[in-house]
Amino acid sequence: MAASDLNPNASREHTARPTANRAAVIVGGNRIPFARTGGAYAKSSNQDMLTASLEGLIARFGLQDERIGEVAAGAVLKHSRDFNLTREAVLGSALSPETPAYDLQQACATGLETVLGLANKIKLGQIDSAIAGGVDSASDAPIAVSEGLREILLDLNRAKTPVQKVKILSRIRPKDLAPDAPNTGEPRTGLSMGEHQALTTAQWKITREAQDELAFNSHRNLAAAYERGFFDDLITPYRGLNRDSNLRPDTTLEKLSTLKPVFGRNLGAEATMTAGNSTPLTDGASTVLLASTEWADTHGLPKLATVLDGEAAAVDFVHGKDGLLMAPVFAVPRLLARHGLTFEDIDFFEIHEAFAGTVLSTLAAWEDEEFGRTRLGLDGALGKVDRAKLNVNGSSLAAGHPFAATGGRIVASLAKMLHEKGTVNGRPARGLISVCAAGGQGVVAILEAA
Amino acid sequence: MSTLQPVLLGELPSLSKLYVNAAATAARRRVLGAAGGTGQLPAVSHEVRNVHADVGNLTAYQHLVGETASDTLPAGYVHALAFPISMSVMNRDDFPLPLLGMIHLKNKVEQRVPIVFSESLDILSWAENLSGHRAGTQVDIVAEVRSHSTGELLWRGVSTYLAKGSFLPGIDKPGAPNGAAGTGDFSPPNPTALWQLGLDTGRNYATVSGDFNPIHLSVLSAKALGLRGSIAHGMYLASRALADVGAVKPDSFAWEVAFEAPVFLPARVALDITTVPSESGGWERSDYVAWNPRSGRRHFTGTVSALA
Repeated sequence: MAASDLNPNASREHTARPTANRAAVIVGGNRIPFARTGGAYAKSSNQDMLTASLEGLIARFGLQDERIGEVAAGAVLKHSRDFNLTREAVLGSALSPETPAYDLQQACATGLETVLGLANKIKLGQIDSAIAGGVDSASDAPIAVSEGLREILLDLNRAKTPVQKVKILSRIRPKDLAPDAPNTGEPRTGLSMGEHQALTTAQWKITREAQDELAFNSHRNLAAAYERGFFDDLITPYRGLNRDSNLRPDTTLEKLSTLKPVFGRNLGAEATMTAGNSTPLTDGASTVLLASTEWADTHGLPKLATVLDGEAAAVDFVHGKDGLLMAPVFAVPRLLARHGLTFEDIDFFEIHEAFAGTVLSTLAAWEDEEFGRTRLGLDGALGKVDRAKLNVNGSSLAAGHPFAATGGRIVASLAKMLHEKGTVNGRPARGLISVCAAGGQGVVAILEAA
Repeated sequence: MSTLQPVLLGELPSLSKLYVNAAATAARRRVLGAAGGTGQLPAVSHEVRNVHADVGNLTAYQHLVGETASDTLPAGYVHALAFPISMSVMNRDDFPLPLLGMIHLKNKVEQRVPIVFSESLDILSWAENLSGHRAGTQVDIVAEVRSHSTGELLWRGVSTYLAKGSFLPGIDKPGAPNGAAGTGDFSPPNPTALWQLGLDTGRNYATVSGDFNPIHLSVLSAKALGLRGSIAHGMYLASRALADVGAVKPDSFAWEVAFEAPVFLPARVALDITTVPSESGGWERSDYVAWNPRSGRRHFTGTVSALA
């Protein structure tokens, strides 16, 4: 390893430069309300929910029989039979069946990455319109047979004679019949995502009170946004739900403070992460309509915002160099540097609330002088995020987090917020999105009011 | 080593037969009251030539310990390959310590050259360094793996075992505790991994390694040998830690482990891997430590470092 590799995530090491292309605009979005697992969508499949979300988008923007340039979506928890999930959803929708589609999977960054990939295709002139999306069901999750039974069944499939088959079947033992359900454990560490975050939360000395306050604000802001009708043109009701079922408009800091810690109880440091300041398992889907300026204009559709740029990062979390969910900490300064921007130039910060501790650890790292110098390659701290600009219409702690659907939820909401804001000091209003993901990854993006 | 009489075995000894034989020897010694102890190790080395890894077994081993199924033999797999030959040395009538109930204290492996699974191997093993331990007598079992075609030394392992309660004439027990033991001052760091080990952990490793020592197989068979339950194989735990260190290690590396409190199954084991950087910022070595996350008792410590 050369000395220059010491700090591969530092902002100065980054040499990519933005090039001028035509704009990719966000026309609007649609999602179904997010439901706590085992609730209103318990029996709905990923394809059901993605199609429902897509149908709402088609209805809102009059896309019946329209051949869209490309549709990209994905799910984190995915059945093997859903190898063409997005294409199947398109075929089940009112879009032209001649609309191509592909699936994408990047853990919780899936939704945002579909937006960035399709926006790039529009910017390059490959397509004029696109729908990005994501869906996840923790209720209708795939359950696999045990590894033992799977091997036996595959061997059975290869057997030629009845005698061979009987011999193979006789290998089945009772323990082979226990199913293998998906879990949130990181494959390389065996630690759950919550346990990983508990270590990071403790490392950055994030208090229980600060986490509960962030959770409280998320519920309060989301409830207020619903009250003033902010989501009226962003959500289509589904299965009797009009609002995210995890939202607790009447929750209080006192109530949140009574919850018992659920993560990090055996990890040494004081456990501070509760069911209240961590996102619950959720079902839901979201979609975003993207287009070139010309396509939006000829179709008489609104242009809420443009996708300025995006950046992905990953951290070496396996042996604890960085926290599992800390990759956006490195992606954001690189993206800002590429455009010569600072936090002063950002009007809305949308930092996905995987856990309150994730958001607060991220902010703490950006405010840390030492970290800024040694890890981000800056002259000092990256900067302080103005809390009044943070997740102003609520985020995942209140809305819930159907993994792949979160990116689309944030992009559509932020595009609308930017459009409402219009210009700030003569420049277009700007919003920053930050989404952490399993595997030590993160994807971030900047949108500008159109 | 030069004074050792070479004994060439025609094929890999069967571990299950060796365990049965060891049990019979133990019973005979109990009945006849004869402790085998002469204070002398047999001056022989056992060798098997032209050994090949079984690729199906290799894949099962790699998946079990968390290695990618590559064509290179994991260092722990080579240990398992050589183990029957080492066992045959310890199972000799003139071996002074009882084989059953021996405790694996530590293990030191030098993986000098990567071994591709199709390579033909010569495996040699002998015992040395019979010495006193405060709780009995310890011995080093050395195994060397060479290329059958070139004779080049590819892999070398030294396993240190303790025969608890066996004191041999002429072998003094040391006054102070030796080895890396001593868990009194251990305060667990933040874990980088958590392992969930089921009751079948021992049986699963026995299937891929061939090491069917009853203390690993079931609660009943372990109780028959005086343990309160079955315990995980030390080499299974160390091999998982080696897999977790991962691709950062170079082709030639040293791998050490010192075992402390046994892991009674089922268990949750916390592990921390610390990467120690070299002066130039590259990888110097990875240190690992594993413990019980509930009690804080240390199970094992070790290190993986580059071979000079």
